[in-house]
Amino acid sequence: MTAQIGERLHYEGRETSMCSEPLGDYFAFAGIQSGFGFNCTALWRGYVGTWEIRDGRLYLIGLAGTLKDGAEANVATFFPNYPDRVFAHWYSGKLRVPQGKLLEYVHMGYGSTYERDLVISIEKGVVTETVVQQHGTANNADAPEGYGIGAMTVFPRKPPGSENEL
Amino acid sequence: MKYLIGYLAIGVLTLVAMLISHLKQEKPKFRFRSELMESIYPERKKWWYRLLDKIVAPVLAGAAVIAVWPIAIFMAVKERFFRKEPEPVPAPKEFSVTRDDLLQQTTIEEIEQRERVIDPMGAVPDLPFGHLNAAWLQFKGHVEPQDSIWTFSSNWTTDWGRREIRAGYVILHGDSLGPHFLTTWKALDED
Repeated sequence: MTAQIGERLHYEGRETSMCSEPLGDYFAFAGIQSGFGFNCTALWRGYVGTWEIRDGRLYLIGLAGTLKDGAEANVATFFPNYPDRVFAHWYSGKLRVPQGKLLEYVHMGYGSTYERDLVISIEKGVVTETVVQQHGTANNADAPEGYGIGAMTVFPRKPPGSENEL
Repeated sequence: MKYLIGYLAIGVLTLVAMLISHLKQEKPKFRFRSELMESIYPERKKWWYRLLDKIVAPVLAGAAVIAVWPIAIFMAVKERFFRKEPEPVPAPKEFSVTRDDLLQQTTIEEIEQRERVIDPMGAVPDLPFGHLNAAWLQFKGHVEPQDSIWTFSSNWTTDWGRREIRAGYVILHGDSLGPHFLTTWKALDED
């Protein structure tokens, strides 16, 4: 499994990547198939969500992906009455936000290690704790800063009904 | 000398037969296989890897067949007539609530009162379970007059060894447990 593209997170005035997928829990709790197609080994889930933590609450504020039928999906696709902002009350868990320089690249999932992880604990959509975990200091001054992936393969999109669907 | 030439000639014939068999074999069609492998192992795209993979390795394999063709024939016969069918992959175990997981009996009214979701920015419907209200209504539709509803909390280990806690509500039909509605799904290892 290739290293995966992270979700986007707006936090304290900055946009960053996070290695957690709160929307996956929504699909599981709601008992629905996400219906996303995929064409990239670095994005098996088929979408990228944009999240915001505002006033200690987690919100979904953007969504980009392509459905099996070729239609572009956005927040309104799953939350028709809340196209701009959705309170992620269903999510309880930890958001991992890698920070600093890359220490070790792992070409699988979210396996790479960075100098720090900002870990935001969430309980029913509300922030309960924020912790910074230190993992070390990069020896290489040229090491990449912030979460990223090293490689991916992009497949040509297939017509609806073909096999590159989730 | 003529024995050696004869031996090698049989080796060449064996190689030709194996090549023909290989070419006639129906191969599984997985169109993204090479792309996936190249994505995981980027060195596969380099010229020296392709040289090794496409020319050097096949030539060495062919030479090996000619040199030790009795072993190649033995392997081919074993593969064709004595191959063990692979063990079927077991289906992933499905999460289910057990009686030991039951915590407390409750009612629809209590649950709907408790599970209202309020957001200062109005980014959630003022309904039980907020954005999950449709799923809740579906669950509620399974409740029959004689049923009872219980809260539950279950420690669950997935096939991958991930320890989780799953909690929510479950319907008790007489002595048997019915559908459940999840409200919590957390990895225990995170804590």
